[in-house]
Amino acid sequence: MGAAHAGGGRGREGLSVSGTEAGVELIQREAALLDEQRWDDWLALYTEDCEFWMPAWKSDGTMTADPRSELSHIYYANRRGLEDRIVRIRSGKSPASTPMPRTAHLLSSILPLEPLGKERMRLRSTWACHVVFLRTGENHAFFGRYEHELALKGGAWKIAKKKILLQNDRIPTMLDIYCV
Amino acid sequence: MDLKDIGLYLDDRPAEGVFRVHRDVYSDAALFELEQKHIFERTWNFLALESQLAKPNDFVTAHIGQTPILLTRDAKGLRAHVNVCRHKGAVVCGAETGNTKYHVCPYHGWAYDASGKNIDIKDRKTGAYAPAFDAEDHDLVPLAKLESYKGLIFGSLTKDVPPLEDFLGGLRFFLDLMMEQGPRGMEFIPGRAVYTYRGNWKLQLDNGLDPYHLTSTHLSYIDIQSRRREGQGNVEARQFDWAMRVAKEGGSFGFENGHAVYWLDQPEPEKRPIYPALPEIRARLSEKHADWMLKARNVHVFPNMQIADAITLMLRTFRPLAVDLTEMRSYCLAPIGEAPEVRAWRLRQFEDFFNPGGMATPDDTIVYSACQSGLAARPISFLQGHARGLAKAEQGGNDVARELGIRPSVSVKGGFTLFNEITFHAPYREWARLMQAGVAGAKAYP
Repeated sequence: MGAAHAGGGRGREGLSVSGTEAGVELIQREAALLDEQRWDDWLALYTEDCEFWMPAWKSDGTMTADPRSELSHIYYANRRGLEDRIVRIRSGKSPASTPMPRTAHLLSSILPLEPLGKERMRLRSTWACHVVFLRTGENHAFFGRYEHELALKGGAWKIAKKKILLQNDRIPTMLDIYCV
Repeated sequence: MDLKDIGLYLDDRPAEGVFRVHRDVYSDAALFELEQKHIFERTWNFLALESQLAKPNDFVTAHIGQTPILLTRDAKGLRAHVNVCRHKGAVVCGAETGNTKYHVCPYHGWAYDASGKNIDIKDRKTGAYAPAFDAEDHDLVPLAKLESYKGLIFGSLTKDVPPLEDFLGGLRFFLDLMMEQGPRGMEFIPGRAVYTYRGNWKLQLDNGLDPYHLTSTHLSYIDIQSRRREGQGNVEARQFDWAMRVAKEGGSFGFENGHAVYWLDQPEPEKRPIYPALPEIRARLSEKHADWMLKARNVHVFPNMQIADAITLMLRTFRPLAVDLTEMRSYCLAPIGEAPEVRAWRLRQFEDFFNPGGMATPDDTIVYSACQSGLAARPISFLQGHARGLAKAEQGGNDVARELGIRPSVSVKGGFTLFNEITFHAPYREWARLMQAGVAGAKAYP
């Protein structure tokens, strides 16, 4: 797997659709695209009906489990919510996004979860995202786990679901989709 | 400046049309310490919702300024104590909420029941304590005052405060509009956001009452609403059309004891989650209540709690940690027993705007840090951010207040683009009054 550059030997247009190798490359590519602020390429990794979900924590120390009846940090039932984010980031009108914070995602402990058939795979991984907020000069490392559900669409793997289990949820000032 | 003369920090000359706040109010660490003593420790502070403590032995932890508080429900009702072990001063209960009969200190195991009574001093018999120790009270220290209004629980570290209803005064009508939306009361939807910002707590006080920043700080959010009108983006959030606000009328009230309300006629009321419940609300309360629940309202409860109701209903507290560091907690407030589809709609609206990972709040909090950096600049003395609308301010009530039967200390009425800054005056006048009383050694509420 390894280098997650667009145009590389494998990837979302890639050849390897068996095993988890293609999936591992896809989620590493996703992290790299966020850090490189290649927003269109990042969006293209998602299916149009993807679910993007970062639950909130409850006051009893557990995480919310149902986005329809409990609060989430972010919940989108399809890709249009992610498109809003990109519009805002690019608008030049959002003080939180101008200048853009710089990030580095580190991804590790990528393990397959039980498969959901030939055209679906699930992966869990551990991530940290280092962010420098240029307006304040502050650095912070968000961290947590991901659960990705990938779907094979027209020969390419896409992200059908992403769940972000943010572990350090006392948030310093702000976060956005590129911080987690 | 001379900390004994608080008048130096607030230049308040109504007859001359002047209201100016000095930058030191946000940046002077010595003033911050005085605020803890003379404001937070001498007035009512919001602690929790009654619905968080519905069952016996339920508990919630909170703070009044720097003081940790433990709220419990025992057999007799609600109780509140300083959440600090009498033995070595450790915080006894480290959880935010829960249910337990006993609270055991994690250090040496001293135990307290839900009424705050010490029920065990570990190995007391073998401790060779002198009689003087036995004569001491070992129970958790109770709060001097604990009262509720419409499900909102407030506490005070001093008994020298007015009854809670008097303290809230004319603001009560606006709290009723928040807390009576559901026939079975209101609750926090499970899940909360906790975040900090690098800035003084009063930056949130201001921003939560400030319509002026909406059309600059949140321009990107307004643009996103325009896209959604064309069917693009997260239309599931069903937000109202922000551009339609420009033609709307609104106003504000300031009240005794530092409270304030900003209100605006809201476009597209059918996009409020409360909308389907309006017939029930009209029947249970009144036409007036239903009409006012549809208006946008930002309520400030002095010193550090706000409820906003324009994009669903949110309650936030902002706790000062240092002169330049504040901890925010925000909750989505909703009617108990609300229909599942309405609740999901409410959540999507709330997350879209209010979350620290949403699309509006980050633009606020990052700007607070910009303010805090700027407020260290010595060549700056008084700010110019509390003056819009002064020529339209009416002392006492205006026609809207008379219609509502409330008696504010100051009223303003005007279009959305008046973007009035008079709403800040009551909180800052109260800030100065309490600080002056404190440094003079006078009572907070004579």
